[in-house]
Amino acid sequence: MYGLTITQLHDMLKNKEIDIKTYYEQLFSDTNEVQQRLNAFVTITKEEALAKLDHFQFDENNWLSGIPFVAKDNYSTKGIKTTASSRMLEHYVPIYNAHVIDKLAKKDCIMIGKSSMDELAMGGTNKSALTGPVGNPYDATRIAGGSSGGSAAIVGSGLVPFALGSDTGDSIRKPAGYCGVIGFKPTWGRISRYGVIPYASSLDHVGAFTRSVEDMAIVIEAMSGRDERDMTSSNRPVEAYYDHLTSDIQDKKIAVIQNIYDQISNSEIKENFDHIIDLYKKMGCTVDFVEYDETLLKAMLPTYTIIANSEATSNHACLDGVKYGTRVDAATPDEVMIASRTNGFGAHIKRRFILGNLALATQNQEKMFRKAQRVRRLIVEELNKIYENYDVILGPTAGHVAAKIEEEETDRLTDEYLILENHLVLGNFAGTPSLTLPCGFVDEMPIGINIMGKLFEEQTVLNAAYALEKELGLKNKYAKGEA
Amino acid sequence: MNFEVIIGLEVHCELTTQSKMFSASPVTFGQAPNTKVNEVDLGMTGTMPVLNKTGVEYAVRVCHALNMEIDELLRFDRKNYYYSDLPKGFQITQDRFPIGRNGTMEIEVDGKKKTIEIERLHMEEDTAKQLHFDDHTLIDYNRSGIPLIEIVTKPNIRSGKEAAAYLEKLRSIFLYTKVSDAKMEEGSMRCDVNVSIRPFGSDKFGTRTEIKNLNSISNVQKAIEFEVSRQEKILLQGGKVLQETRRYDEGLKETVLMRSKGDAVDYKYYPEPNILPIRLDHQWVLDIKEALPEMPEERIKRYVEKYQLPKNDAKILVATKEISDYYDEAIRYTKEYKLVCNWLLGETMAYLNKSNTTIEAIKMIPKCLAEMVNCVVDETISSKQAKKVFDLMMETGKDPETIIEENHMKQISSVDEIRKIVCDVLDKNPQSIEDYKNGKDRAVGFLVGQIMKVTGGQANPGITNKVLIEELKSR
Repeated sequence: MYGLTITQLHDMLKNKEIDIKTYYEQLFSDTNEVQQRLNAFVTITKEEALAKLDHFQFDENNWLSGIPFVAKDNYSTKGIKTTASSRMLEHYVPIYNAHVIDKLAKKDCIMIGKSSMDELAMGGTNKSALTGPVGNPYDATRIAGGSSGGSAAIVGSGLVPFALGSDTGDSIRKPAGYCGVIGFKPTWGRISRYGVIPYASSLDHVGAFTRSVEDMAIVIEAMSGRDERDMTSSNRPVEAYYDHLTSDIQDKKIAVIQNIYDQISNSEIKENFDHIIDLYKKMGCTVDFVEYDETLLKAMLPTYTIIANSEATSNHACLDGVKYGTRVDAATPDEVMIASRTNGFGAHIKRRFILGNLALATQNQEKMFRKAQRVRRLIVEELNKIYENYDVILGPTAGHVAAKIEEEETDRLTDEYLILENHLVLGNFAGTPSLTLPCGFVDEMPIGINIMGKLFEEQTVLNAAYALEKELGLKNKYAKGEA
Repeated sequence: MNFEVIIGLEVHCELTTQSKMFSASPVTFGQAPNTKVNEVDLGMTGTMPVLNKTGVEYAVRVCHALNMEIDELLRFDRKNYYYSDLPKGFQITQDRFPIGRNGTMEIEVDGKKKTIEIERLHMEEDTAKQLHFDDHTLIDYNRSGIPLIEIVTKPNIRSGKEAAAYLEKLRSIFLYTKVSDAKMEEGSMRCDVNVSIRPFGSDKFGTRTEIKNLNSISNVQKAIEFEVSRQEKILLQGGKVLQETRRYDEGLKETVLMRSKGDAVDYKYYPEPNILPIRLDHQWVLDIKEALPEMPEERIKRYVEKYQLPKNDAKILVATKEISDYYDEAIRYTKEYKLVCNWLLGETMAYLNKSNTTIEAIKMIPKCLAEMVNCVVDETISSKQAKKVFDLMMETGKDPETIIEENHMKQISSVDEIRKIVCDVLDKNPQSIEDYKNGKDRAVGFLVGQIMKVTGGQANPGITNKVLIEELKSR
């Protein structure tokens, strides 16, 4: 039963074309298949899911009634192991649910498992997961991307209609592009972050993966809204995204940032991108190329690195082995903390913590952390200049298709890397809604396009994606793999 | 050589709000360990802080009471350090922008007034409580997240006595503003002391030591006095005071070394990303000032000016807020301000001491005390009877009228009625009249005794005496 979208599965349940228990039995058998092929799950929650089915009643007025999903393993789930793919949390069982998990449970969604991720959401390859790398559904020898690699791969395999992710730099949108699925992170504050193991609070966004824009509208609508436990969550009423979906986007103004476009070296990706520009023009949109201060573009990665790691080092200071998590016993409480943290984190995590501490140290803070915050503001102000005249900004999700798992990391100092591979972080700096849509294939691997809108204009972004999805004919593509 | 003493105080005060500073779990004291905690207090990863509005209100109250400038743009910072009682690995506090700045408090020491300058007041959260045993440590998270305010003076306190006077008054402000029970012995009010000395005339500060773990105001004073003499000895012997943290050992009556400051921690303060700056409503801040309860000094002034109490009595009443509140309630029912004060500071205090209880726990309500005083003044009962009524009120909680009634204590003050009784008694005791005429004054005492016997002691003694003499003379 691969490849069912929310709306399809809903209709089948509604029309009694399928019995929900039979469906879930098949689903869990498929889950094992996917797990064997992609290694994308940390935990499969079959027992809990089937227990829910015992007193399940289908509600035909609720799109999400009985719909299965997967949560990234940094969403706290009461009574269910939540590891964030870190040794430190290998056996950690939270005593509470993330707000979004509660919301989806109230909607009668059924969680079937927790997905693999880069350790503590720090990374872009999913290679740092405690349970090992995750395979790309289109080619299991390639990466799924990260940090929400497990969720992206699972949705890309066609197993479940949607999965939850989190995005601090591009951790939903990059893997979505690599795995050929839709990845969306709405405005910072639109969805509560309560209970999602943080990376960097001021940049962290929660969001989801789906295979159709309709599904995305349904899921995001269900996740959104004020949460009294997250002071940064917005009081704005949640819009009816699904009801307001329209492919009529005539007269919308689209900007393409010239400096980013210029860095596309892969001719097929460039060709594909030009084609999309033409499609939007055909739909009645204006598409203009705009300049963005190049110095600021090159400053994105260092700015991000400093802010993200500074916040991360204190966000993860709670992981000390004292109250929960993997404890290494020692003679004194201080030594317990040191031993537990030494044992609990991977080398790359420790490197980031050291960097964050360096940037926050009193003697450095002004010239590193505070300066990065000021540069962040400049980057956002430059972005806002574009939004004065345009509704959305269009860009490629990545410069290349998913790399081979064995491949070494790219040179981080090239302009292509600094600008093209990292520009999605603009949406994290500014907190703006940003969506990646599958837009074609290069070397039989999927590529994605990114649409970024203004704060709280989720609907505009969804509609732009909805219109393009229709033109491209790539709705609900998935890669089941060889049986 | 003479030295000038430089003291700065840092006071932490736990606020008695319903819930914690950044979480919804309740603020409690003395509950079973780890029963009043939620995932936020435990520092569970993924949790987020939600600011307690009442906590802010309490901080604003104290800011007003200390005449501080209030920063209406609330900002919070993270203070980062690892310690096993700090569940998040950081404490949410206000580093760069404390809610209150530049306060003042007037104190009086040995009849001399002095203004203590207060540098800042900020809001933060308490840590968990550690219980150390020989081979293990237990942690109670009930305290984790309880709202705290920290108040830091400028280094312009000059003696242990001044420090004690400041703390006494600060404590009464906490009580009068109803933000805390401020019990130093239970840790809901805590004080760290910074002490240094320098030769008089010097404009450079000497090396300071910090004294922690002080569990009473008198110990603060003692610790400072010891520490000053310790530092004096070192300097006079040509030594150097080292920057270190010390604690006061009650048994030794000395400060002893806890740790030296060489390995000072860098707290790496930076803005709390999960609480965006909050703009307080200016009117709300003003309303809090408007609604501020009367402060101790105003109360003393009112007692002296409006009720003509001696200043010393007024001070003693106000020193314990509950006693003073009791007094205020009582004088709603009488104009005998001084008498009520006397009964409170005399019999009532004695009763509290003897019974080892508090004014809130006694059975006699303020209204009854006032009514009893009224009965004495209008001569319904004698002062001697009043003592009995007082004891019975404390014992039973009944009102004075009932007690007087039940015990037949109502005085006979009618002259006619007394004259009738006097005449009856005289008629029955002709020998006593004879004795009186012969100059034996003892006879009067005997006759009064007879009258009291007949009336059950209820005859007004003054009137009885007057009428008796009149009747004796006329016979």
